[in-house]
This record gives sequence, structure tokens and C-alpha cells, in this order.
Amino acid sequence: MKSTTLCIVLCSILISMLFIGCSDEAPFGLPKSDLGNNTISKYVSIGNSLTAGYQSGALFEDGQRYGFPNLIAQQLIKAGATIGTFEQPIWGNPGNPGSNGKAARIELVSLEGPDIRPRGLAPGTPLNATLNRPYDNLGIPGAMIADFFDTTDVNTKLVTRQNLFFKHVLRDQSKGKSVFEQAKNISPKADLISFWLGNNDVLLYAVYGGVIVAGGTVIPNAPTSATTFDQLYKAAIDSLKNNFPSAKIIVANIPDIKAIPYFTTVNPGVVATYKGVIPFSYQKHGNRGVGDGVTYFTEPNPPLLTLASSAYIGKKGEWYRDNNVSVPSGIDTNQTMGIDYTNPIPDALILDSLEQAEIAKAVAAYNTTIASVATSKNLALVDIHTIFNDIKKNGFRVSGETYTADYVSGGLFSLDGIHPTGRGAGILANEFIKVLNAKYGMHIPYVDISQLPGIPAPLGKYAAGTLLPKLSPQAVKNILELWHRQ
Amino acid sequence: MKNIILFFVFLFFSPFVVHAGGFQLNEHGARAMAQGGAFVARAYDPSAIYFNPAGLGFQTQNSVYAGTTLITPQSAFYGPTNLNLSTKNEMVDQLFTPINVYLTYRITDDLSVGLGVNNPFGLGTEWKDGWSGRFITQKVDLKSFFFSPTAAYKISDQLAVGAGLNYATGDVTIQRYVSDPFDPHGKINLELSGSGVGFSVGALYKISEELSAGASYRSSVNINAEGTAAFTPNRSAYPAGEATASLKLPATGYIGIAYKAMENLELEADYQYVGWSSYKELKIDFKKDGSSQTSPKNYEDTYILRIGGEYTMQQVQIRFGYLFDNNPVQDKYTEPLLPDADRHGYNLGIGYKLNDQITIDVAYLFLHFVDRTVTGTAIDFDGVYQSRAHLLGINLGYSF
Repeated sequence: MKSTTLCIVLCSILISMLFIGCSDEAPFGLPKSDLGNNTISKYVSIGNSLTAGYQSGALFEDGQRYGFPNLIAQQLIKAGATIGTFEQPIWGNPGNPGSNGKAARIELVSLEGPDIRPRGLAPGTPLNATLNRPYDNLGIPGAMIADFFDTTDVNTKLVTRQNLFFKHVLRDQSKGKSVFEQAKNISPKADLISFWLGNNDVLLYAVYGGVIVAGGTVIPNAPTSATTFDQLYKAAIDSLKNNFPSAKIIVANIPDIKAIPYFTTVNPGVVATYKGVIPFSYQKHGNRGVGDGVTYFTEPNPPLLTLASSAYIGKKGEWYRDNNVSVPSGIDTNQTMGIDYTNPIPDALILDSLEQAEIAKAVAAYNTTIASVATSKNLALVDIHTIFNDIKKNGFRVSGETYTADYVSGGLFSLDGIHPTGRGAGILANEFIKVLNAKYGMHIPYVDISQLPGIPAPLGKYAAGTLLPKLSPQAVKNILELWHRQ
Repeated sequence: MKNIILFFVFLFFSPFVVHAGGFQLNEHGARAMAQGGAFVARAYDPSAIYFNPAGLGFQTQNSVYAGTTLITPQSAFYGPTNLNLSTKNEMVDQLFTPINVYLTYRITDDLSVGLGVNNPFGLGTEWKDGWSGRFITQKVDLKSFFFSPTAAYKISDQLAVGAGLNYATGDVTIQRYVSDPFDPHGKINLELSGSGVGFSVGALYKISEELSAGASYRSSVNINAEGTAAFTPNRSAYPAGEATASLKLPATGYIGIAYKAMENLELEADYQYVGWSSYKELKIDFKKDGSSQTSPKNYEDTYILRIGGEYTMQQVQIRFGYLFDNNPVQDKYTEPLLPDADRHGYNLGIGYKLNDQITIDVAYLFLHFVDRTVTGTAIDFDGVYQSRAHLLGINLGYSF
């Protein structure tokens, strides 16, 4: 009897234990999503191609949907923002036309090579053109700091700037003559503004190797001066603060060009292929004649070859032909470009140490302005410069994946080597969100990078170990058109 | 009784501050299972081949003992919290049915032999297709079969010893997405199989009418597996074709003491050690391009505490038990491939003796995994894992 009692006691203890920890409830201490003590009812993004969601040399729907502002907007909604639909100037796939009338978007046509070029498709058409108000995303590919206040008619800019995106984004004067005016005409009034301009003030110099190639001539160029940038930037932020007194403004600074594959892909490839074997001849800054720089690309501060050069190194006179530039006297286009002293790599395809210094100086000055304005005006600042340098050095890991700043294989930069892929934009969005969360006590969830699309690629052969990706001349042309149309 | 108290003290304040979990399965007979797996000091049925081969030495009949365990694990991952997400990702429900079959034969009064077939290691996790962790794991399925010819010798009425060989086969399927910059993403399907050999030894000592002690050791088994890697869609850059990997299944050892508290009541407490620290990494080598993929595991040696008992009422036996299983996975290396955590196990069971020859045993085990929050993981996939499992064991025995 005693033992039976014992057994019953033991059994009932065991049965009661079964119910411990059986609950289906979410575990305690999981992150919450909210805006803290803030409300956000309208988010407006101001900027350039990065803000527009431009990638692979074009503006197109599949890219714009994954532009960082739209990604931020979707995350804001998850945190309780009442911003409604984030309206964008969507350009239907395959996107805007290039100057040849075909879709400008460049694609990975084959992994063998790899073969990177526009497919020559008919361009897409704008899909959200009848929206009866300014767009929430006012990012204009090609926009510089001066364009923020610029009230020049968009049809005029189509000609003077040879840029069709001002007309595409701003559409007509009735919605506001400038980016600033259109931002003011959005209702309800924006209470969150992202402002990221200044990249093109230096890129227009850098992508062309420090020159302007126009009308058959090559002339020296310069980045927007530090003084001009400082004045324009301060004026832009002052105006935003005055007109949107209660808005939170988040700004970002300018990355180092050496963190961007457009400037860092061809050179290491050349070094690995020809190191100590073939001296390379190139034109130093301002030189239009025979090569005055001969190098194995092994010196401490080697010249940077732009991605554009990949279409021309090892060829002959094609660069002069494609750019309608008459061959200067002394240049022998029967020789192989870059290998022979008499056919040097043109100044327009290279950044020598002088040009690199010029760029570094401009970027540093812009970033000083941006940092000081951010402090004095209490703006949220995203230090993209540091973040990009860190990714260049260490890569970026999330959910078991590692991304790098390498061209194509790195996964973060699109085929133009400058603009991010959807995943790269996801990382940008997360950096913006991180700053918003820290500064305003928000708990906006981050973008799940692993769910964003990669670079569409065919299933064909992959030439492993190819160090020098070759872009087609048309791909190069399409990339560069953003900064200067011929 | 004093000895028992000391033993418990030893168990709970043991200096072995090590962290069995992992992909080890410890349910190899419904009789032992119902008692929290505390069985090494008695090992009175044919599953002794697994728990303590010496146990065969005291068994007086030839027998067949066979059964299965139905296992339904449930797991959810909340996160990734490093993205400030608390999305609930539920693991796909699966049913696992590891088996156990034992044959024993008495050659003489003192010498017995036996053969066991069971699945001491196994794992199956599958997450919804395309989920956030798809580059880490989509599906894993690991099965092992151990074939264990065993012999035991009764040295005296108090002491028996036993030893056996373990021939093991292993099959593993691993599915996940390839992490590359391209769309569409390739999905890798790795299927590998291999075999290896190990051994078991054990001793059982009957200290008095009431008290017995046992110890056993099962060696590690190194499985060299080979098979194929397939990719869908395939890209020529992927290392499709032959692949190899080696997997070291850990050694495990038991010590335990059993006490007959009353005429009808037996109690036992065991300490099980699992040498998981042998599992440092999972390295897969691809023949096509000589490349390899290595996932660091860095498991730690661990222990399981087991207490249980059996109360006999004529033909019916009521069994009960509890176990605490300290998981081998460090926070830093916790991953959805095997969402492990410390486990509390609550056991109940019943045995029914139909006649002198036939027995039926049923055991139920509820495994409660402690909610596990991990941050700073090596794979940058932080979050909270919440798991549990229901296990139902059924065995039939026939003695002759």
C-alpha cells in the first residue's frame, strides 16, 4: 500500500512536469518594431542616382523597387509609419533609353568572359507618370548639389545637360520648378527627409579620368570646388530646416572612389596579368600625346584604370573612333593601346596620382562640410564613407553570406561598378535605419538582405579566374552618359 | 541509502562543468527510455547491447527485442534579431522513426552473445523553402545504422563484463542555397554516405541484493562519407559531382548506480558523458575543382543526467524518469542546421507481460528545450530558438 502511494505521487509529479514549458507563446525579450516617441506620416527622399534606385547604367522598375529609399519606406511602414504608398517615378523595364534609342540597361549576357553589355532592347515606358503630385522619391540620376535649387526648365535641361531624368522625375513646372519646390508641394508635409547629394560633384570628374570628352575634344575638368559645395550644401540644408521645421533630416556623406569597383577592378587585373612583364604606357593628367607614364603598375601609388578602360586596353584606335576624338599627332593607332609607347592609354581612362589626389581632396572637403552642417543643424548623419571603406577592406557578412566590394562577384555593386545592386541598396537602407534608430530611439526593423535579388545571370559557362571583365564599348558609353552625353 | 545520496550529490555538483544534445539519439528501447534512460547499472533486457554489453551476462534467456521510437520535433526560430526582426520561422513538421532490434543467445550459463541494430545518431531539420536562413540551411537529414555484434561473460554472480563491435553506416543529405551574387540562386543538394567501425565495452557489478553499479563506454566512430553534389539550376562554376566529407561520431560513456528501494521498486541514477568536442567542423570537399566548404562547429564535451525507476505490479510495470541533457553547441556556433539547446526530458511508461515469453513496452518522453537566445553568432544569424519534441517508444520482446 505504501509503495502504491509512492508510485502515485511520483507519477503525478511527472505528469505535472509535462506541462511546464509547453506554451506556444513567443519567447520573452524579442525585438519590438516601433518609431519610439516619433510619428512619421511622410517620407521624402532627395538625392541623385543612388536615391533614384538607378543600377547597371539605367533607371528601371526592377532596380527602383529595391532602391534604398523604397526599402527604408517599407521598413518604416512595418514600424508603424503612416506614409501610405511611397510614390516613385518608375520607369518600366527594361528602363530608360540610352542616346542610341535602345534600353540603356547593361546586363550580364554571359558568364563566359564575362560578357557585359546592353542587349539592344526597346526601352520601357514611365509607369507612374500621371500621379497628380510630386513623387516621394525625388532622387534624380545625375543630379549635383547645384541642382537642388535649380529652376531651369526640365525641357531645357534635357538639352543642356543631355540628361532625361530631370524631366522624368520633375515632369512639369506646375508641380514646382526645382527639387526643393517640388518637395515643398508634397502633402502632408514631409516629417522625414533623406538628403544625399554631392557624389556627382566629384564623380563627373572621376569617371572620365579627370577630363571632359565632348565635341571631339578632350579638355581638363575639375570637381565642384570645395567653396561652392560648402555654400550650396549649407543653403540647401538651411532651406530644408526653415521649410520643414519639425522634420527629421538624415544625410549621408561621400564615399572614397577607391571603395568602388568602377575604379578598382581593371587595375588589379592588369597587375596580376602583366606584372613585371609588360610596361604599360599611359597619358598623365593633361597630356594628350604619346605616353609619358610607363609603368608595370607596381609602384606604391599606381594609376587607377576605370572600368571604361576594360573595353579598350589591348585594342588599337577604337577609343578615338568611339568618342569622335581625332587622333593627336604622334599617336600611332596601329599599335596596341597601352602596350606601345606611341599608343598610350588615354587620360580619360585613367586616374593618375595627381587626379586621385584632386578627388581625395574634394571628397574630404565635401565630407567636412557635411559633418559640420550635420552637427550644427542636428541632422542624422550616415557615414557612408567609413562604411564603404570597411566593406572594401573586410567585406560584409549577414545570414551566412559574405559580400565584397568586388565587381560582379562581390554582389553589392551592379554592372556599372558604381551603383548598388538590390542587396547593396539593402545594406545602404540598413545603415540609414541604424542611424535613425540610434538618434531618435526608433526600432525600425532592418531589411533582410538575403531576400533581395542578386544580379540576373544566365546559366551558361563561367570562365573561372577571369581577372579582366570586358565591358562592351556600348556598355561603357551607357554608363558614362549619366555624367555627360555626347 | 547513504551511497545513493552521495551519488546524487556527485551528479549535481560534479566538477565536469562541460556543456549531449547534438544529433545523438538516446532512445534505444522503450523500457530504458521510460526510465529516463537510466539503465547502465541494470541493463536487464537485450538493449543492454547498446547501454551496457555486460548486462547480457546476467540475462537467463535467449531473446528478441525490437521496437521503434516515433519522434516529432517542433522548432521555431525568431529573428534574425541582429536585423531587429522577430519573425517566427517554423521548422517543417517531420516524423522520425529510429528503430532498435536486438537478438541475444546464451552459449553457456556464463557466456552470451548478441546482435544489435539501431540508430544512435540522427537528425532532420527542414525550414520553409526560401526562408531567411536559406544560405545557411534549407534541409538536413542524417541517418546512421549501427550493427553491433556483442559478447558478455559472467565472471561471478556479482560481476559480468561485455564488449562489442560497432559497424556503422551513415547517410546525410544537405540542402541549402548557394551564396553567390547571381539570380536565380542555385540550390545545392549534397548526398553522402559512408561507414566506420568502433567498439563498446561495459561492466556490471551487483554490490548487494539491493545495489548494483554499471559502467560502459562506446567509442567514437569516424565515418568517411562520399557522394555527389547536385545543383539546381546548375552553373558550370559550381562544383557539381563527387564530394567527400568525414564525420566523427562522438564517444559516449555511462556510469550509474541502481537501488532496489522496495521489493517492487527499482531506482537508478546515471551520468552519461558525450565526447562532442571531436566535432570541430564539417568540411565538404568537392572533387571537381578541389574546393572545399568548411562550417565551424566547435562542439564541447557534454553530459546527460538521468534518473528513473520502475514499479512492478504483477504483470504490469510502471516506469518514470527525468533527464537533463546539456547541449554541446556554443552560443557563437548555434545555427538552424541543428537548433540545439539544453533539454529537460520527462519520461513515463508502462510494461506489460503478456505471458512468460512476450512483453510489450511503451514509453513516452517529452523533451523541453530551454528557449535559447544567441547573439554574436559566427554566421551572423542571431535570434531565439524555441524547440520541443514528443517521443513515443514501443517495443516487443520475445524470450525463449
